Amino acid sequence: MYPFHHPFDRPVHYEGLFPVTNRYTYGIASEKFFRALKEEGIILGTHCPHCDKLYVPGTIFCETCLSELEDWRAVDNVGRVDTFTVLYKNLDGTYRTEPEIVAFIRLGDGGLVHRLAEIDPKSVLIGMQVAAVFKPPEERTGNILDIRYFKPV
Amino acid sequence: MGLRKVAVVGAGMTQFVRRAQETPKELAFKATRAALDSCELSIQDIDAICLGTAPDTFDGIHMNGEYLSDGVGALGKPYIRSYVGGGTGVFVPIQGWYHVASGLFDLVLVVAEEKMSSYYPHPQGAFLTIFDHTTERPLKPNLLWIFALEMNRYMATYGISKEDIAQVSVLHKRNAADHPAALLGDKKITVQDVLNSEVLAWPVQRLDVSPVSDGAVAIVLAAEHVARRITDKPIWIEGVGWSLDTAYWTNRDLAYPRYVEVAAKMAYEMAGIKEPRKEIHIAEPYDPFDYKALHHLEGLQLADRGKAIELYLNGSAKRDGNLPICPSGGLLGVGNPIAAAGLMKIAELFWQLRGEADGRQIPGSPQKGIAQAWGDLMQVGTVVIMGK
Repeated sequence: MYPFHHPFDRPVHYEGLFPVTNRYTYGIASEKFFRALKEEGIILGTHCPHCDKLYVPGTIFCETCLSELEDWRAVDNVGRVDTFTVLYKNLDGTYRTEPEIVAFIRLGDGGLVHRLAEIDPKSVLIGMQVAAVFKPPEERTGNILDIRYFKPV
Repeated sequence: MGLRKVAVVGAGMTQFVRRAQETPKELAFKATRAALDSCELSIQDIDAICLGTAPDTFDGIHMNGEYLSDGVGALGKPYIRSYVGGGTGVFVPIQGWYHVASGLFDLVLVVAEEKMSSYYPHPQGAFLTIFDHTTERPLKPNLLWIFALEMNRYMATYGISKEDIAQVSVLHKRNAADHPAALLGDKKITVQDVLNSEVLAWPVQRLDVSPVSDGAVAIVLAAEHVARRITDKPIWIEGVGWSLDTAYWTNRDLAYPRYVEVAAKMAYEMAGIKEPRKEIHIAEPYDPFDYKALHHLEGLQLADRGKAIELYLNGSAKRDGNLPICPSGGLLGVGNPIAAAGLMKIAELFWQLRGEADGRQIPGSPQKGIAQAWGDLMQVGTVVIMGK
Protein backbone atom coordinates (compact mmCIF):
# COMPACT_ATOMS: atom_id res chain seq x y z
CA MET A 1 0.00 0.00 0.00
CA TYR A 2 2.88 2.39 0.78
CA PRO A 3 5.58 1.15 -1.58
CA PHE A 4 8.22 3.72 -0.64
CA HIS A 5 7.56 3.95 3.06
CA HIS A 6 9.26 1.51 5.39
CA PRO A 7 8.48 2.65 8.92
CA PHE A 8 11.49 0.97 10.47
CA ASP A 9 14.09 2.16 7.92
CA ARG A 10 15.59 5.60 8.08
CA PRO A 11 16.28 7.30 4.76
CA VAL A 12 19.97 7.72 4.05
CA HIS A 13 20.83 11.28 4.92
CA TYR A 14 23.49 13.91 4.63
CA GLU A 15 24.24 16.46 7.34
CA GLY A 16 24.61 20.15 6.64
CA LEU A 17 24.37 23.52 8.31
CA PHE A 18 22.20 26.50 7.46
CA PRO A 19 23.98 29.15 9.52
CA VAL A 20 22.59 32.68 9.80
CA THR A 21 23.96 35.41 12.02
CA ASN A 22 22.85 39.02 12.02
CA ARG A 23 24.00 42.37 13.29
CA TYR A 24 20.98 44.67 13.32
CA THR A 25 21.07 48.44 13.52
CA TYR A 26 18.56 49.85 15.98
CA GLY A 27 17.29 52.21 13.29
CA ILE A 28 16.45 55.90 13.51
CA ALA A 29 13.39 55.51 15.75
CA SER A 30 14.55 52.62 17.91
CA GLU A 31 17.89 54.21 18.62
CA LYS A 32 16.12 57.23 20.06
CA PHE A 33 13.67 55.00 21.95
CA PHE A 34 16.35 52.82 23.54
CA ARG A 35 18.70 55.70 24.36
CA ALA A 36 15.85 57.32 26.31
CA LEU A 37 15.08 54.00 28.00
CA LYS A 38 18.71 53.51 29.00
CA GLU A 39 19.77 57.04 29.84
CA GLU A 40 16.57 58.57 31.24
CA GLY A 41 14.40 55.61 32.19
CA ILE A 42 11.52 56.88 30.07
CA ILE A 43 9.33 55.37 27.36
CA LEU A 44 9.08 57.44 24.17
CA GLY A 45 6.33 57.55 21.58
CA THR A 46 5.68 59.65 18.50
CA HIS A 47 2.46 61.50 17.77
CA CYS A 48 0.85 61.85 14.34
CA PRO A 49 -0.92 65.23 14.19
CA HIS A 50 -3.02 64.21 11.17
CA CYS A 51 -4.36 60.95 12.59
CA ASP A 52 -4.05 61.90 16.29
CA LYS A 53 -2.34 58.61 17.05
CA LEU A 54 0.40 58.10 19.60
CA TYR A 55 2.77 55.34 18.46
CA VAL A 56 4.55 53.50 21.29
CA PRO A 57 7.37 52.64 20.76
CA GLY A 58 7.90 55.74 18.62
CA THR A 59 8.30 55.35 14.86
CA ILE A 60 9.47 57.83 12.22
CA PHE A 61 6.32 57.44 10.14
CA CYS A 62 2.58 57.08 10.60
CA GLU A 63 1.43 53.75 9.19
CA THR A 64 -1.98 55.23 8.39
CA CYS A 65 -1.15 58.42 6.48
CA LEU A 66 2.57 57.73 5.91
CA SER A 67 3.64 61.18 7.03
CA GLU A 68 6.98 61.63 8.73
CA LEU A 69 6.69 61.89 12.52
CA GLU A 70 8.83 64.29 14.52
CA ASP A 71 6.75 64.92 17.65
CA TRP A 72 8.46 62.68 20.24
CA ARG A 73 6.70 62.41 23.59
CA ALA A 74 7.49 60.61 26.82
CA VAL A 75 4.51 58.49 27.82
CA ASP A 76 3.50 57.48 31.32
CA ASN A 77 5.38 54.44 32.61
CA VAL A 78 2.01 53.11 33.74
CA GLY A 79 -0.20 51.25 31.27
CA ARG A 80 -3.11 48.82 31.27
CA VAL A 81 -2.99 45.07 30.76
CA ASP A 82 -4.65 44.53 27.38
CA THR A 83 -4.21 40.76 27.51
CA PHE A 84 -1.87 38.24 29.15
CA THR A 85 -0.79 34.61 29.22
CA VAL A 86 0.95 32.41 31.79
CA LEU A 87 3.85 30.28 30.59
CA TYR A 88 4.25 26.87 32.20
CA LYS A 89 6.68 25.12 29.86
CA ASN A 90 9.97 26.09 28.29
CA LEU A 91 10.64 25.99 24.56
CA ASP A 92 12.42 22.64 24.96
CA GLY A 93 9.34 21.09 26.56
CA THR A 94 10.63 21.07 30.14
CA TYR A 95 8.47 22.50 32.92
CA ARG A 96 9.32 25.90 34.36
CA THR A 97 10.09 25.97 38.05
CA GLU A 98 7.97 29.13 38.32
CA PRO A 99 5.28 30.09 35.79
CA GLU A 100 5.98 33.34 33.94
CA ILE A 101 3.34 35.96 33.14
CA VAL A 102 3.63 37.77 29.81
CA ALA A 103 1.28 40.64 29.02
CA PHE A 104 0.55 43.13 26.31
CA ILE A 105 0.58 46.46 28.08
CA ARG A 106 -1.26 49.27 26.35
CA LEU A 107 0.69 52.55 26.27
CA GLY A 108 -0.65 55.40 24.11
CA ASP A 109 -2.12 53.84 20.96
CA GLY A 110 0.52 51.10 20.97
CA GLY A 111 2.28 49.38 23.81
CA LEU A 112 4.81 46.76 24.80
CA VAL A 113 4.78 43.03 25.26
CA HIS A 114 6.60 42.44 28.53
CA ARG A 115 6.77 40.37 31.70
CA LEU A 116 4.49 40.90 34.69
CA ALA A 117 5.86 40.22 38.17
CA GLU A 118 5.23 40.87 41.87
CA ILE A 119 1.76 39.41 41.36
CA ASP A 120 0.22 35.95 41.59
CA PRO A 121 -0.85 34.68 38.13
CA LYS A 122 -4.35 34.07 39.49
CA SER A 123 -4.69 37.74 40.46
CA VAL A 124 -3.89 39.23 37.06
CA LEU A 125 -6.85 41.04 35.53
CA ILE A 126 -7.30 42.39 32.05
CA GLY A 127 -7.55 46.15 32.37
CA MET A 128 -5.45 46.44 35.53
CA GLN A 129 -2.87 49.21 35.76
CA VAL A 130 0.78 48.17 35.76
CA ALA A 131 3.98 50.19 36.01
CA ALA A 132 7.40 49.64 34.43
CA VAL A 133 10.15 48.59 36.83
CA PHE A 134 13.53 49.68 35.47
CA LYS A 135 16.93 48.20 36.16
CA PRO A 136 19.27 50.61 37.95
CA PRO A 137 20.85 53.05 35.43
CA GLU A 138 24.31 51.46 35.60
CA GLU A 139 22.90 48.06 34.57
CA ARG A 140 20.95 49.29 31.52
CA THR A 141 22.33 48.45 28.09
CA GLY A 142 19.75 49.83 25.66
CA ASN A 143 17.66 46.68 25.57
CA ILE A 144 13.96 46.02 26.11
CA LEU A 145 15.02 44.12 29.25
CA ASP A 146 16.27 47.42 30.72
CA ILE A 147 12.68 47.32 31.89
CA ARG A 148 12.84 44.35 34.24
CA TYR A 149 9.11 43.81 34.24
CA PHE A 150 5.81 45.57 34.88
CA LYS A 151 4.13 45.33 38.28
CA PRO A 152 0.71 46.25 39.61
CA VAL A 153 0.30 49.89 40.64
CA MET B 1 -4.76 41.40 -25.26
CA GLY B 2 -7.04 44.06 -23.84
CA LEU B 3 -4.33 45.44 -21.59
CA ARG B 4 -4.42 49.04 -20.42
CA LYS B 5 -1.52 51.43 -20.91
CA VAL B 6 0.55 51.92 -17.77
CA ALA B 7 2.80 54.87 -16.97
CA VAL B 8 5.45 55.59 -14.38
CA VAL B 9 4.49 58.94 -12.85
CA GLY B 10 6.85 59.25 -9.89
CA ALA B 11 10.08 57.88 -8.45
CA GLY B 12 12.22 58.25 -5.36
CA MET B 13 15.12 56.55 -3.69
CA THR B 14 17.37 56.59 -0.64
CA GLN B 15 21.11 56.92 -0.72
CA PHE B 16 22.81 53.57 -1.40
CA VAL B 17 25.30 53.01 1.43
CA ARG B 18 27.44 50.23 2.87
CA ARG B 19 25.62 50.21 6.20
CA ALA B 20 22.53 52.27 6.80
CA GLN B 21 21.50 53.41 10.26
CA GLU B 22 17.85 52.99 9.22
CA THR B 23 16.00 49.73 9.72
CA PRO B 24 14.80 48.00 6.53
CA LYS B 25 11.33 49.39 7.24
CA GLU B 26 12.66 52.93 7.65
CA LEU B 27 14.58 52.67 4.37
CA ALA B 28 11.44 51.47 2.60
CA PHE B 29 9.45 54.33 4.14
CA LYS B 30 11.94 56.98 3.01
CA ALA B 31 11.91 55.75 -0.61
CA THR B 32 8.11 55.48 -0.57
CA ARG B 33 7.70 58.99 0.83
CA ALA B 34 10.09 60.39 -1.81
CA ALA B 35 8.23 58.66 -4.66
CA LEU B 36 4.82 59.88 -3.46
CA ASP B 37 6.13 63.41 -2.95
CA SER B 38 7.67 63.42 -6.45
CA CYS B 39 4.18 63.20 -7.97
CA GLU B 40 2.32 64.98 -5.16
CA LEU B 41 0.23 61.98 -4.17
CA SER B 42 -0.69 60.77 -0.71
CA ILE B 43 -0.86 57.14 0.36
CA GLN B 44 -4.67 57.38 0.37
CA ASP B 45 -4.53 57.81 -3.43
CA ILE B 46 -2.78 54.47 -3.88
CA ASP B 47 -4.95 51.42 -4.69
CA ALA B 48 -2.44 48.60 -4.19
CA ILE B 49 1.20 48.00 -3.36
CA CYS B 50 3.83 45.66 -4.81
CA LEU B 51 6.97 45.16 -2.77
CA GLY B 52 10.21 43.50 -3.83
CA THR B 53 12.94 42.32 -1.51
CA ALA B 54 15.49 39.53 -1.90
CA PRO B 55 16.03 36.68 0.56
CA ASP B 56 14.74 37.31 4.09
CA THR B 57 18.21 36.42 5.32
CA PHE B 58 19.68 39.77 4.17
CA ASP B 59 17.41 41.94 6.29
CA GLY B 60 17.52 39.15 8.86
CA ILE B 61 13.76 39.06 9.30
CA HIS B 62 11.64 36.10 8.37
CA MET B 63 8.46 37.14 6.54
CA ASN B 64 10.30 40.30 5.54
CA GLY B 65 7.60 41.36 3.08
CA GLU B 66 5.06 41.43 5.88
CA TYR B 67 7.48 43.21 8.23
CA LEU B 68 8.09 45.95 5.64
CA SER B 69 4.40 46.41 4.81
CA ASP B 70 3.60 49.30 7.17
CA GLY B 71 6.68 51.21 6.01
CA VAL B 72 5.32 51.28 2.48
CA GLY B 73 1.79 52.24 3.49
CA ALA B 74 0.20 48.84 2.85
CA LEU B 75 -2.15 49.09 5.84
CA GLY B 76 -5.63 48.12 4.66
CA LYS B 77 -4.62 47.76 1.00
CA PRO B 78 -4.08 44.86 -1.40
CA TYR B 79 -0.40 44.06 -0.97
CA ILE B 80 1.98 41.47 -2.36
CA ARG B 81 5.68 40.81 -2.05
CA SER B 82 7.57 39.21 -4.89
CA TYR B 83 10.99 37.65 -4.85
CA VAL B 84 12.92 36.33 -7.83
CA GLY B 85 16.39 36.76 -6.35
CA GLY B 86 18.52 39.41 -8.05
CA GLY B 87 15.87 39.73 -10.75
CA THR B 88 13.39 41.11 -8.20
CA GLY B 89 14.07 44.81 -8.81
CA VAL B 90 12.97 44.59 -12.43
CA PHE B 91 10.29 41.97 -11.73
CA VAL B 92 8.40 43.97 -9.10
CA PRO B 93 7.60 46.79 -11.57
CA ILE B 94 6.36 44.08 -13.95
CA GLN B 95 4.10 42.84 -11.20
CA GLY B 96 2.93 46.41 -10.58
CA TRP B 97 2.40 46.79 -14.32
CA TYR B 98 0.01 43.85 -14.54
CA HIS B 99 -1.86 45.06 -11.47
CA VAL B 100 -2.68 48.20 -13.50
CA ALA B 101 -2.70 46.81 -17.07
CA SER B 102 -5.28 44.22 -16.03
CA GLY B 103 -7.74 46.95 -15.07
CA LEU B 104 -7.81 45.92 -11.43
CA PHE B 105 -6.11 49.04 -10.03
CA ASP B 106 -5.47 52.59 -11.27
CA LEU B 107 -2.60 53.63 -9.01
CA VAL B 108 -0.02 51.18 -7.73
CA LEU B 109 3.04 51.85 -5.61
CA VAL B 110 6.09 49.68 -6.33
CA VAL B 111 8.85 49.52 -3.71
CA ALA B 112 12.10 47.57 -3.56
CA GLU B 113 14.25 47.41 -0.44
CA GLU B 114 17.38 45.63 0.71
CA LYS B 115 19.49 45.89 3.82
CA MET B 116 22.35 43.52 3.16
CA SER B 117 24.51 44.79 6.00
CA SER B 118 22.41 43.04 8.64
CA TYR B 119 23.77 39.69 7.53
CA TYR B 120 26.94 39.20 9.49
CA PRO B 121 29.83 38.83 8.90
CA HIS B 122 29.02 39.03 5.17
CA PRO B 123 25.81 38.64 3.12
CA GLN B 124 27.66 36.18 0.90
CA GLY B 125 26.74 33.74 3.65
CA ALA B 126 23.13 33.81 2.44
CA PHE B 127 24.28 32.09 -0.74
CA LEU B 128 26.21 29.25 0.86
CA THR B 129 23.01 27.24 1.11
CA ILE B 130 21.65 27.78 -2.42
CA PHE B 131 23.75 24.98 -3.88
CA ASP B 132 22.91 21.30 -4.08
CA HIS B 133 23.57 19.91 -0.63
CA THR B 134 25.14 16.67 -1.76
CA THR B 135 26.90 17.32 -5.08
CA GLU B 136 28.17 20.86 -4.49
CA ARG B 137 28.06 22.07 -0.90
CA PRO B 138 30.85 19.80 0.34
CA LEU B 139 33.12 21.91 -1.95
CA LYS B 140 31.92 25.10 -0.17
CA PRO B 141 31.00 27.05 -3.31
CA ASN B 142 29.99 30.71 -3.13
CA LEU B 143 28.75 33.17 -5.74
CA LEU B 144 32.20 34.63 -6.47
CA TRP B 145 33.36 31.17 -7.41
CA ILE B 146 30.44 30.59 -9.71
CA PHE B 147 30.81 33.90 -11.47
CA ALA B 148 34.54 33.42 -11.81
CA LEU B 149 33.80 30.13 -13.58
CA GLU B 150 31.22 31.82 -15.80
CA MET B 151 33.44 34.84 -16.54
CA ASN B 152 36.32 32.60 -17.53
CA ARG B 153 34.06 30.60 -19.83
CA TYR B 154 32.78 33.83 -21.41
CA MET B 155 36.30 35.22 -21.90
CA ALA B 156 37.59 31.95 -23.37
CA THR B 157 34.64 31.42 -25.72
CA TYR B 158 35.03 34.81 -27.39
CA GLY B 159 38.68 35.64 -26.72
CA ILE B 160 37.97 38.70 -24.55
CA SER B 161 40.70 40.08 -22.29
CA LYS B 162 40.52 41.17 -18.65
CA GLU B 163 41.83 44.59 -19.72
CA ASP B 164 38.86 45.07 -22.02
CA ILE B 165 36.30 43.86 -19.47
CA ALA B 166 37.73 46.29 -16.91
CA GLN B 167 36.50 49.12 -19.18
CA VAL B 168 32.96 48.24 -18.10
CA SER B 169 33.74 48.77 -14.43
CA VAL B 170 35.58 52.00 -15.21
CA LEU B 171 32.72 53.51 -17.23
CA HIS B 172 30.03 52.56 -14.73
CA LYS B 173 31.95 53.80 -11.67
CA ARG B 174 32.80 57.05 -13.47
CA ASN B 175 29.12 57.50 -14.41
CA ALA B 176 28.14 56.90 -10.79
CA ALA B 177 30.22 59.90 -9.71
CA ASP B 178 27.33 62.00 -11.09
CA HIS B 179 24.65 60.10 -9.14
CA PRO B 180 23.76 61.77 -5.82
CA ALA B 181 22.78 58.42 -4.26
CA ALA B 182 25.88 56.49 -5.35
CA LEU B 183 28.15 54.49 -3.08
CA LEU B 184 31.16 53.90 -5.35
CA GLY B 185 31.25 56.73 -7.87
CA ASP B 186 34.82 57.54 -8.92
CA LYS B 187 35.65 59.97 -11.72
CA LYS B 188 39.33 59.09 -11.68
CA ILE B 189 39.23 55.29 -11.72
CA THR B 190 41.32 53.61 -14.44
CA VAL B 191 41.60 50.18 -16.04
CA GLN B 192 44.86 49.77 -14.16
CA ASP B 193 43.07 50.29 -10.83
CA VAL B 194 40.71 47.43 -11.68
CA LEU B 195 43.55 45.16 -12.78
CA ASN B 196 45.54 46.01 -9.65
CA SER B 197 42.68 45.30 -7.24
CA GLU B 198 42.87 42.13 -5.16
CA VAL B 199 42.05 38.85 -6.85
CA LEU B 200 39.04 37.25 -5.18
CA ALA B 201 38.54 34.22 -7.40
CA TRP B 202 40.42 34.51 -10.67
CA PRO B 203 39.48 36.12 -13.05
CA VAL B 204 37.22 38.09 -10.69
CA GLN B 205 38.98 40.94 -8.86
CA ARG B 206 37.63 43.31 -6.24
CA LEU B 207 36.77 46.10 -8.68
CA ASP B 208 35.06 43.71 -11.12
CA VAL B 209 32.31 43.29 -8.49
CA SER B 210 29.52 45.56 -7.23
CA PRO B 211 29.51 46.44 -3.52
CA VAL B 212 27.32 45.06 -0.74
CA SER B 213 24.81 47.86 -0.05
CA ASP B 214 21.73 49.04 1.80
CA GLY B 215 19.01 51.07 0.11
CA ALA B 216 15.46 51.37 -1.18
CA VAL B 217 13.73 52.68 -4.31
CA ALA B 218 10.05 53.34 -5.05
CA ILE B 219 8.04 54.25 -8.14
CA VAL B 220 4.38 55.05 -8.75
CA LEU B 221 2.48 53.41 -11.62
CA ALA B 222 -0.75 54.81 -13.06
CA ALA B 223 -3.37 53.80 -15.61
CA GLU B 224 -3.42 56.09 -18.65
CA HIS B 225 -6.43 58.23 -17.70
CA VAL B 226 -5.03 58.80 -14.20
CA ALA B 227 -1.46 59.33 -15.39
CA ARG B 228 -2.53 62.20 -17.62
CA ARG B 229 -4.13 63.95 -14.65
CA ILE B 230 -1.00 63.57 -12.54
CA THR B 231 1.72 64.60 -14.97
CA ASP B 232 2.27 65.96 -18.48
CA LYS B 233 5.39 63.78 -18.73
CA PRO B 234 4.24 60.19 -18.18
CA ILE B 235 6.80 57.53 -19.06
CA TRP B 236 5.09 54.45 -20.44
CA ILE B 237 5.92 50.86 -19.70
CA GLU B 238 5.80 49.59 -23.27
CA GLY B 239 7.04 46.05 -22.91
CA VAL B 240 7.79 43.54 -20.17
CA GLY B 241 9.30 40.08 -20.23
CA TRP B 242 10.59 37.47 -17.87
CA SER B 243 11.86 33.95 -18.25
CA LEU B 244 13.45 31.16 -16.29
CA ASP B 245 16.36 28.99 -17.38
CA THR B 246 17.18 25.57 -15.90
CA ALA B 247 17.49 25.53 -12.12
CA TYR B 248 20.75 23.67 -12.37
CA TRP B 249 23.47 26.08 -13.44
CA THR B 250 25.75 23.48 -14.96
CA ASN B 251 23.03 22.57 -17.48
CA ARG B 252 23.36 26.04 -18.98
CA ASP B 253 25.44 27.63 -21.73
CA LEU B 254 27.62 29.77 -19.45
CA ALA B 255 28.83 31.98 -22.31
CA TYR B 256 25.35 33.18 -23.29
CA PRO B 257 22.34 34.11 -21.12
CA ARG B 258 19.43 32.43 -22.86
CA TYR B 259 17.09 33.52 -20.01
CA VAL B 260 17.73 37.16 -20.93
CA GLU B 261 17.14 36.52 -24.64
CA VAL B 262 13.74 34.94 -24.04
CA ALA B 263 12.66 37.70 -21.65
CA ALA B 264 13.92 40.42 -24.02
CA LYS B 265 12.13 38.95 -27.02
CA MET B 266 8.89 38.87 -25.05
CA ALA B 267 9.34 42.53 -24.13
CA TYR B 268 10.37 43.64 -27.63
CA GLU B 269 7.36 41.96 -29.17
CA MET B 270 5.01 43.65 -26.70
CA ALA B 271 6.66 47.01 -27.34
CA GLY B 272 6.57 46.51 -31.12
CA ILE B 273 10.34 46.83 -31.33
CA LYS B 274 11.81 45.10 -34.39
CA GLU B 275 15.31 46.54 -34.41
CA PRO B 276 16.40 47.00 -30.80
CA ARG B 277 19.86 48.30 -31.71
CA LYS B 278 18.24 51.25 -33.50
CA GLU B 279 15.13 51.74 -31.38
CA ILE B 280 16.60 51.48 -27.88
CA HIS B 281 18.36 54.68 -26.84
CA ILE B 282 19.42 53.80 -23.29
CA ALA B 283 20.31 50.43 -21.81
CA GLU B 284 20.51 49.59 -18.13
CA PRO B 285 21.65 45.95 -18.22
CA TYR B 286 22.20 44.22 -14.88
CA ASP B 287 25.84 44.66 -13.90
CA PRO B 288 26.67 43.05 -10.55
CA PHE B 289 29.95 42.02 -12.24
CA ASP B 290 31.52 43.89 -15.15
CA TYR B 291 31.47 40.90 -17.53
CA LYS B 292 27.79 40.42 -16.66
CA ALA B 293 26.85 43.74 -18.31
CA LEU B 294 28.41 42.41 -21.53
CA HIS B 295 26.74 39.03 -21.17
CA HIS B 296 23.38 40.70 -20.66
CA LEU B 297 23.76 43.21 -23.53
CA GLU B 298 24.21 40.21 -25.81
CA GLY B 299 21.17 38.48 -24.33
CA LEU B 300 19.22 41.71 -24.88
CA GLN B 301 20.23 41.48 -28.57
CA LEU B 302 21.95 44.86 -28.32
CA ALA B 303 25.23 43.30 -29.47
CA ASP B 304 26.30 40.14 -31.28
CA ARG B 305 27.62 37.33 -29.12
CA GLY B 306 31.05 38.16 -27.80
CA LYS B 307 30.86 41.68 -29.26
CA ALA B 308 29.26 43.76 -26.49
CA ILE B 309 32.72 44.87 -25.39
CA GLU B 310 33.03 46.83 -28.65
CA LEU B 311 30.32 49.21 -27.42
CA TYR B 312 32.70 50.16 -24.61
CA LEU B 313 35.87 50.17 -26.73
CA ASN B 314 34.38 52.39 -29.47
CA GLY B 315 32.71 54.86 -27.09
CA SER B 316 29.09 53.90 -27.90
CA ALA B 317 28.44 53.06 -24.23
CA LYS B 318 29.27 56.56 -22.95
CA ARG B 319 26.48 59.00 -22.16
CA ASP B 320 27.12 60.85 -25.43
CA GLY B 321 27.58 57.64 -27.42
CA ASN B 322 25.16 55.85 -29.73
CA LEU B 323 23.89 53.49 -27.03
CA PRO B 324 24.52 54.87 -23.55
CA ILE B 325 24.89 51.96 -21.11
CA CYS B 326 24.21 52.31 -17.39
CA PRO B 327 24.19 56.12 -17.39
CA SER B 328 23.13 55.78 -13.73
CA GLY B 329 26.43 54.18 -12.83
CA GLY B 330 24.82 50.77 -12.48
CA LEU B 331 25.30 48.33 -9.66
CA LEU B 332 29.06 48.61 -10.04
CA GLY B 333 28.93 52.32 -9.23
CA VAL B 334 25.66 53.28 -7.55
CA GLY B 335 25.64 50.11 -5.48
CA ASN B 336 23.87 46.79 -5.26
CA PRO B 337 21.20 46.55 -2.57
CA ILE B 338 19.79 43.60 -4.50
CA ALA B 339 16.10 44.30 -5.19
CA ALA B 340 16.55 48.07 -4.86
CA ALA B 341 19.37 48.03 -7.42
CA GLY B 342 17.10 46.67 -10.15
CA LEU B 343 14.36 49.20 -9.42
CA MET B 344 17.03 51.94 -9.41
CA LYS B 345 17.50 51.12 -13.12
CA ILE B 346 13.78 51.65 -13.76
CA ALA B 347 13.93 54.96 -11.86
CA GLU B 348 16.95 55.96 -13.94
CA LEU B 349 15.08 55.34 -17.21
CA PHE B 350 12.18 57.39 -15.81
CA TRP B 351 14.44 60.34 -14.99
CA GLN B 352 16.45 60.06 -18.23
CA LEU B 353 13.36 59.89 -20.50
CA ARG B 354 11.81 62.87 -18.68
CA GLY B 355 15.02 64.86 -19.01
CA GLU B 356 15.40 65.04 -15.22
CA ALA B 357 18.66 63.16 -14.76
CA ASP B 358 20.69 66.32 -14.01
CA GLY B 359 24.42 65.67 -14.33
CA ARG B 360 23.72 62.19 -15.71
CA GLN B 361 21.38 63.38 -18.46
CA ILE B 362 21.90 61.80 -21.86
CA PRO B 363 22.01 64.48 -24.56
CA GLY B 364 19.39 64.71 -27.29
CA SER B 365 15.95 63.41 -26.52
CA PRO B 366 16.10 59.69 -25.82
CA GLN B 367 12.76 58.04 -26.66
CA LYS B 368 13.10 54.49 -25.38
CA GLY B 369 15.10 52.68 -22.76
CA ILE B 370 15.50 49.11 -21.53
CA ALA B 371 16.29 47.84 -18.04
CA GLN B 372 17.11 44.28 -17.13
CA ALA B 373 17.96 42.23 -14.08
CA TRP B 374 18.91 38.66 -13.42
CA GLY B 375 18.60 36.38 -10.47
CA ASP B 376 16.94 33.41 -8.81
CA LEU B 377 19.49 30.56 -9.06
CA MET B 378 21.38 32.64 -11.65
CA GLN B 379 18.59 31.66 -14.02
CA VAL B 380 15.90 34.35 -14.32
CA GLY B 381 15.87 37.24 -16.77
CA THR B 382 13.55 40.20 -16.14
CA VAL B 383 13.18 43.00 -18.70
CA VAL B 384 11.23 46.27 -18.88
CA ILE B 385 11.08 48.64 -21.87
CA MET B 386 10.03 52.22 -21.20
CA GLY B 387 9.25 55.06 -23.59
CA LYS B 388 7.97 58.62 -23.79
